[in-house]
Amino acid sequence: MKVLVTGAGGFLGVRVVERLLAHGYDDIRCFLRDRGKAEKLLALSESYPDARLELCSGNLRSKSDCARAVADASLIVHLAAGLKGAAAELFVDSVVASRNLLDALEERASKPAEPTRIVLVSSFGVYGVASLGRGARVDETTPLEDHPELRDPYSHSKLRQEQLFRDYQQKDGFELVVLRPGVVYGPGGGAFSSRIGLQIGPVFFHLGGRNLLPLTYVVNCAEAIVLAAGDPGSAGEAYNVHDDDLPTASAYLREYKKRVKRIRSVSLPYFVTRMLARSLEAYHRRSQGQLPAILTPYKVASAWAGNRFGNTKLHALGWRPLVATPDAMAETFEYLRQQDAKKA
Amino acid sequence: MSLKIAIVGCGKIADAHVEEIRKIPSVQLSAVCDLEPIMAEQLAVRYGVPRWYSDVACMLESEKPDVLHITTPPQSHLALTRQAVAAGCHVFVEKPVAPRHCDAQAIIACAVAGERKLAVNYWPRFEAPSLELRRLHETGVLGTPVHVESYIGYDLSGEFGMALKRDPEHWVRRLPGKLFQNVIDHVVNKITPFLTDDQPFIEAVAWRAEPGEGDLLDELRVIIRGAQTSAYATFCAHARPVGQTLRVYGTKNTAYADFAARTVVLGRKQGFPSALGRLFPPFLVAKDYLRQGLKNVNSFSHARFHFFDGMRRLLTEFYLSIEQDSAPPISYDEILRVSAIMERIFDQVYPEVQR
Repeated sequence: MKVLVTGAGGFLGVRVVERLLAHGYDDIRCFLRDRGKAEKLLALSESYPDARLELCSGNLRSKSDCARAVADASLIVHLAAGLKGAAAELFVDSVVASRNLLDALEERASKPAEPTRIVLVSSFGVYGVASLGRGARVDETTPLEDHPELRDPYSHSKLRQEQLFRDYQQKDGFELVVLRPGVVYGPGGGAFSSRIGLQIGPVFFHLGGRNLLPLTYVVNCAEAIVLAAGDPGSAGEAYNVHDDDLPTASAYLREYKKRVKRIRSVSLPYFVTRMLARSLEAYHRRSQGQLPAILTPYKVASAWAGNRFGNTKLHALGWRPLVATPDAMAETFEYLRQQDAKKA
Repeated sequence: MSLKIAIVGCGKIADAHVEEIRKIPSVQLSAVCDLEPIMAEQLAVRYGVPRWYSDVACMLESEKPDVLHITTPPQSHLALTRQAVAAGCHVFVEKPVAPRHCDAQAIIACAVAGERKLAVNYWPRFEAPSLELRRLHETGVLGTPVHVESYIGYDLSGEFGMALKRDPEHWVRRLPGKLFQNVIDHVVNKITPFLTDDQPFIEAVAWRAEPGEGDLLDELRVIIRGAQTSAYATFCAHARPVGQTLRVYGTKNTAYADFAARTVVLGRKQGFPSALGRLFPPFLVAKDYLRQGLKNVNSFSHARFHFFDGMRRLLTEFYLSIEQDSAPPISYDEILRVSAIMERIFDQVYPEVQR
């Protein structure tokens, strides 16, 4: 079985390829935009000499590159997406790129004998949690976002991407498995999710308080993706991906300060954040956008309302975290500490 | 009369157009269009635009807009202008106006022949510092301009720079002047108001300072010499902080505009004798900056301190010129002079590009 991994050179992509190899997949096409990111994949290739690891560089914005990517692949793990930048860029890299990939699948001349399965790596951001109220549990039964335009452009683009895959799935009949990771972290990743807070100028505003952080260590997340990809019963299903033993946002920040570096932070309770968001939104409207509405009551209710999370469905697949949360955090903070020392 | 506006091209810059159009009460944005339906849809959904299209002919036919904003890559500007003018629309074109000077000429000729108005998005020209410089020039405070220095900084690790570096097929790479062509309108169009010559002497040099492989030049220096006024134009991707400045040296006074800080200060003459003459000027300049700072606070408190405030001002004047059938805010002659100077610069720094 030929496996295609898009975004294979990225933070999560390399680990997904590694877990695929560990689970015995031995014919993997690694599609990556930046050939400079192939180093870790080449190292993996040396660790698994019997496996065929094909490096395929290109851009999913290009239809011809998409055609090259999907040729003969029967399992597609689609990780490539826009993560930051302007809304238009996010939509091009997440939605238009996905559409190009799906069109290339429809149009490919030779189709593999086995049915095509697509594993889409989506995001927690697609859930419509703002209307659920404080402390509500978020799992796979939570309704999807009704008002993506009120959220951040990343969540909006990921929701549209999911809708696109469902539309094509209805039309083309491939097997679709959706994974929705929470906050993917680990060596190579960033230090802070917005669920912990926002860096504004020299001050870090800690908005997450004692909310649980739906963290998923990058290796554990990759393991979940590979397990779901290989499970015959996962077709048509969606899985939330986060680890067990989730820390709170304040515990994460405390550990960061202890193990990485001291930062100046100001903690804002939820009701203060809500009030601030209301004022900021009103000012944004009144001043016709002189200051960006980085906080609105809707965004605050979506990100910092103290939701609880469940990964029962993921466990039912047989998933167990390969790295326990304390060890994962220790590794991550050590990496961040080294990065910080390098910068200094 | 409320003008009906439509936009074709739903990339990143279209956001700025939508936001500035919405600030002008006398107009309404009725539809957006992009060849890529996903892009048209996302812009319409995010901003609550009533309708979106993936076929511009269909949009022009159904919406019958008074003004079409063209925010597509410049390679399509001429064809879209022709289509818009044929449909009776006035046209607001994103910069750069066209890949080649002859296309810019054809765009203007098309608008003139169709008796439609046209403007190019030279928005920094309508920012407060530009307007203040214009006032200083027109009221004779500067005297006759002797020399102008126009500088623009660029961050290649920014959103657009990264998108450009990652995508070997990016439309900017297909422009004759590549990255420079997408930016230096805002350098050259700040010089042309002080330069009266049609064919000034131009000498340009460019190189690549970014380490690693790649074909994009990222540093540009240009010397321009007219009969009365000379100029330096600088595009710099590696100096920090990334800024945008203009210095005009006149026979009476020298003015320095900082577009990031939105300040304009005049150079000070030595009014005091000997060492005292070197003692006082910094305090006088500090007083000027304090005055400018307070002016900015005043603008902020009246919600007139937006990033694209110059675009709102330019659009307001352009729409007014349509309603009153008066001259558009930027003369066609000046648009063409900017375009001609840019083409001569690109001829020198990318001589291998076939025109």
